[in-house]
Amino acid sequence: MLVIRRKIGEILLIGDDVEVEILECSHSQVKLGIRAPKRITILRKEIQLTGEQNRLASRTISPAKLKNLLGHLR
Amino acid sequence: MPEIVTRQFGKLEFDESAVLHFPAGLPGFESRTRFLLIERPGTAPLLFLQSLDAPKLCFVAAPMHSIDPDYALAMTPEDQQILSLSSDSLILAVLSASASGRWTANLLAPVVIDKKARRAVQAVRADARYSHRHPLPEPRACS
Repeated sequence: MLVIRRKIGEILLIGDDVEVEILECSHSQVKLGIRAPKRITILRKEIQLTGEQNRLASRTISPAKLKNLLGHLR
Repeated sequence: MPEIVTRQFGKLEFDESAVLHFPAGLPGFESRTRFLLIERPGTAPLLFLQSLDAPKLCFVAAPMHSIDPDYALAMTPEDQQILSLSSDSLILAVLSASASGRWTANLLAPVVIDKKARRAVQAVRADARYSHRHPLPEPRACS
């Protein structure tokens, strides 16, 4: 992993057309400003994880699987 | 009465007033905004979120308190704009089985439902307090 130190107001570039600016910084949070073309998706990582988990969860649930699941909850 | 032929339940009749609206969809399924919350005798405490936009799409979920009685909900300001919490809110965890058949619950992203307004959101947390793959307890052996 590349590690870069930056101060508030400083900017880093990713590729030709993505800019990330450090806007605010407290002891537990960093506020970033991102300039990027519309075609680039910017997501919180947790949303991507949940999207993957939802796709897994959307598979058909067979009666046998359901019975097995109920065993975990009762 | 409108009806839909679903993969999980076959033909379902439903009342428009029972439709649950997810204005933002769910991550991975952003265009699916209309669901029915289904409870079936014999499978309590499980609840099913059946999509009305995609008859094949159905999630299985359980009330959060049945998985973690101490669960502390935290919604982002963006999600709170979609839905304001009330004492009447229902909080569910979406369940999924891994390829190995192990069941987990997504505690990172609870489904929060305002029963009165019939609005819902999958409120993905901004913190790392809970896992998106929280293992369910092993079944108790029958005595």
